[in-house]
Amino acid sequence: MTGYIIRRLGEAIIVTLGVTMITFALLHLLPGNLAHDVLGPRASPQELAQFTQQNGLNRPIYVQYWLFLEKLLHGNLGYSYQYNRSVDSLLASELPRDLVLGGLSLIFALLIAIPVGVAQAVRRNGVLDYTSTGVSFLLYSMPQYAIALLLIQFLSISFHVLPAEAPQSSSALGMLAHPAGLVLPVASLTLVTFAQFSRYMRSSAIDTLAQDYIRTARAKGLSERLVLWRHLLRNSLVTVVTLVGLSIPLVITGTLIIEQVFNFPGAGLEYLQATLSNDYEVMLGITVLVGVVTVLGNLVADIGYAILDPRIRY
Amino acid sequence: MQKLARHGVAASAAVLVMVLAAACGSSSSSSGNSSGSSAASASASLPTNGAGLTQPTTPAGTRLSGGTVFFTEGPDAAPNYIFPMYSPQVCSTANNNQLEYMMYRPLYWYGNNYRPNIDYDYSIGEQPQFSDGNKTVTIKLNSWKWSNGEPVTSRDLVFWMNMMKASPATEWCGYVPGYFPDNVASYSAPDPQTFVLHFTKDYNPTWVTYDELSQLTPIPLAWDRTSLSQPAPTSDNGHLPDTTKAGAAAVYKFLDGEAKKPGSWATSPLWQVVDGPFHLQSFTTAGEATLVPNPDYSGSPKATISKLVELPFTSETAIYNQLRSAGPSSLTVANLPSQYAPQISALEAIGYTDNKAASYSFNYFPLNLHNPKVGPIFSQMYFRQAFQHLLDQQGWIKAFLTDTAIPTCGPVPDAPPSSLVSAASISFTPCAFSTSAAQQLLSSHGWKVVPGGTTTCQNPSLCGAGITQGEGISFTLDYESGVVSVQNEMNDLAAQAKKVGININLTTHPFGTVISTAVACQPSQPTCKWQAENWGAGWIYGPSYLPTGEQLFAPGAVANYGSYNDASTTQLISEVTVASNETQELDAYAQNVSQRVPVVFQPTSIGTYQGDAGTLVAKNLGGYAANALGLMNPEDWYFTR
Repeated sequence: MTGYIIRRLGEAIIVTLGVTMITFALLHLLPGNLAHDVLGPRASPQELAQFTQQNGLNRPIYVQYWLFLEKLLHGNLGYSYQYNRSVDSLLASELPRDLVLGGLSLIFALLIAIPVGVAQAVRRNGVLDYTSTGVSFLLYSMPQYAIALLLIQFLSISFHVLPAEAPQSSSALGMLAHPAGLVLPVASLTLVTFAQFSRYMRSSAIDTLAQDYIRTARAKGLSERLVLWRHLLRNSLVTVVTLVGLSIPLVITGTLIIEQVFNFPGAGLEYLQATLSNDYEVMLGITVLVGVVTVLGNLVADIGYAILDPRIRY
Repeated sequence: MQKLARHGVAASAAVLVMVLAAACGSSSSSSGNSSGSSAASASASLPTNGAGLTQPTTPAGTRLSGGTVFFTEGPDAAPNYIFPMYSPQVCSTANNNQLEYMMYRPLYWYGNNYRPNIDYDYSIGEQPQFSDGNKTVTIKLNSWKWSNGEPVTSRDLVFWMNMMKASPATEWCGYVPGYFPDNVASYSAPDPQTFVLHFTKDYNPTWVTYDELSQLTPIPLAWDRTSLSQPAPTSDNGHLPDTTKAGAAAVYKFLDGEAKKPGSWATSPLWQVVDGPFHLQSFTTAGEATLVPNPDYSGSPKATISKLVELPFTSETAIYNQLRSAGPSSLTVANLPSQYAPQISALEAIGYTDNKAASYSFNYFPLNLHNPKVGPIFSQMYFRQAFQHLLDQQGWIKAFLTDTAIPTCGPVPDAPPSSLVSAASISFTPCAFSTSAAQQLLSSHGWKVVPGGTTTCQNPSLCGAGITQGEGISFTLDYESGVVSVQNEMNDLAAQAKKVGININLTTHPFGTVISTAVACQPSQPTCKWQAENWGAGWIYGPSYLPTGEQLFAPGAVANYGSYNDASTTQLISEVTVASNETQELDAYAQNVSQRVPVVFQPTSIGTYQGDAGTLVAKNLGGYAANALGLMNPEDWYFTR
């Protein structure tokens, strides 16, 4: 297992390098001119030339890429000309908050979807199954913003039960100090994720229930609770683990709509604004970060398989 | 003057914020009266919108001392710069009007009570005195103090001028080559309360007062340094670096760098020295600014609220949700996005007054007169006049903008009214919607109009220079993506144009791309490929507040994006700056521009910031009046019980 992890980490480094290379090349192929975008249309040719010189934009692209990698290795993701701040500091202030929002919704979605999926499989074609399936389809087919706006309309505007915006604290801990403000944004994310996870969990559990080892366990006289807990749940989780691994990058940038609706400035919104305003280094920094997290998320999922299913050996 | 933009800080332009009409009104076509509305539009009544609060609010109840005012920043438009000598890159209402001006007062204050006029009661400077055939301006300063105890003196203005005269002048948002500070021959501070400027020409005093002196801000000598480790300089501790050009440039570089560090603003020994009514108590990474009264403020009145909190928002939806769910207790003064205009009555019912103030701006989009393909057609005045007739502005305002905009037909804003500009200059006739008038103009200039087809030139001598026989009218109009109202307007324009055989190929790009694509160019340059660019907003007058055209329509002017060049317009622009009767000259200039249509005029949104539907003010907030130029006077505000 250790050897496998080391091997996968090596692969991850190569993939990440590929991600940086492709991203860097694509961003430099975009129409526009960084100096012009930063200095504005009133900038004189001398100012444009000076900016280009100072930032090495007149050097060959491979040299620029090498300089970018050098900075990256020193933990320097670049500088946002729109926000007048380093990309590192932008992400340092936003990522912990995103992790609270995305992380909580992921945890709640799992906590709800796993038992619901198992219960649906065990009581297949029953009232619970049909009801849960209906709710899942309804939530899954609804755009995230629609769920968010409906929740706000009913719980904030009509009945004034919960605030319409996420906690405005600039720290993750500060956000947790205002749990009421977290309810609606976390619920909006959770409902969609739950719908997806519960469907996969149900399907996986139904497959597992048909396996010989389940029948054998029951034949051995094992209680139904132990069958479900030891044999069904563990083996059914493999599919969900894959989903969780793929969902980890979304914790960073997948909350864009929720950020917009609930007044929650996060990395997703940052990325959108950077795209609209040609803030190249922010785009580059976040893309690289998401690439790295995606690779790591897959690695975590692969390790999770081996833990859940001892038959899997790398 | 500044090109209007969306969302506070234009990434690529010298801009102020203005969402022009994000209204999500009917998706149906506008009036659709393709030929019959000419007469009606020609005699159109003046706009009913743009009626701001001309007097401070006086709610019933006992006046309270203290209380926190919560104010909405524009969506994703938090301040990102604090030094009042701002470059085009950081030239935004979020930085200027909503932050810097409340701490570092410009020499003169404009726009109170919804009039684009100077207000000497709120100004550091007394009324300027002109002499030497108006070449010399003498300004006496009122006795103000900085919060560090130093007096505000004419030396602080010399410091400002030294900085402007150094290389940073080209980075000043209001800089126009040949004008301020290039047209200042010399300046001096003969005594601490007197500042003297000598201009190179005998300019019109009103123009100087509104366009040139508006660019002056006293700055404290505590800023006259190149590092924070130096002791804070004062007027009596020896040599100050700004007195040489290189020294001033070095000081500017240092201050510019410090101004880009929002994390240190609230604690910096630089930015805590203020002469305005407020100082910054805190500023979060998300953009929440908390301002508290400056106890040493010399002006009048003194602030009675205990705090002003400027709240950042990620979207227009978030602003609206917060308004509806929490109401005046959480947002005291809020700019309502245009798309929520239909909700104004519901918001008034929960405790708001709607202030329908317009900013002193006008909306337009440029045609590229130097484009090698269609430039010769765009250069013909009759074509621009015909094209202007195809914009159904009043229909758009009804159908797409929920009555939150004003028909526009010239560079002089219709609202707010100004005593500096004659109402006679405001005529909508040249811009009246009429496809028949457009068709007639084209036909009478040698074009064979083919409704629904392609109109072609049949008589090149009448069509104009550079237009060949058989040539059709077809061009690309690129507009800002993501704004429903602009999309509806452009679709309607393309449909109306097709009725007279003009083929418009519509394309969309993000705001930043559109605004930076529209640049002045020569036909041979690669940057001259653009044909028409509509960024959905236009132009706001500031920090030069007189609606003159030296930045917009003079040849070579920084914002003459379409490369318009007309001798009569240029002459009138020049005359306004030196005229003895600026009202008469401005009237002539406004009429000239309306007739000659150097750009395509389109409805100007009301709303002080971002082209909002209006500003919602809590009904228990007193002392609030609209400012014609979007400045803020929270020192006037108070709560009532």
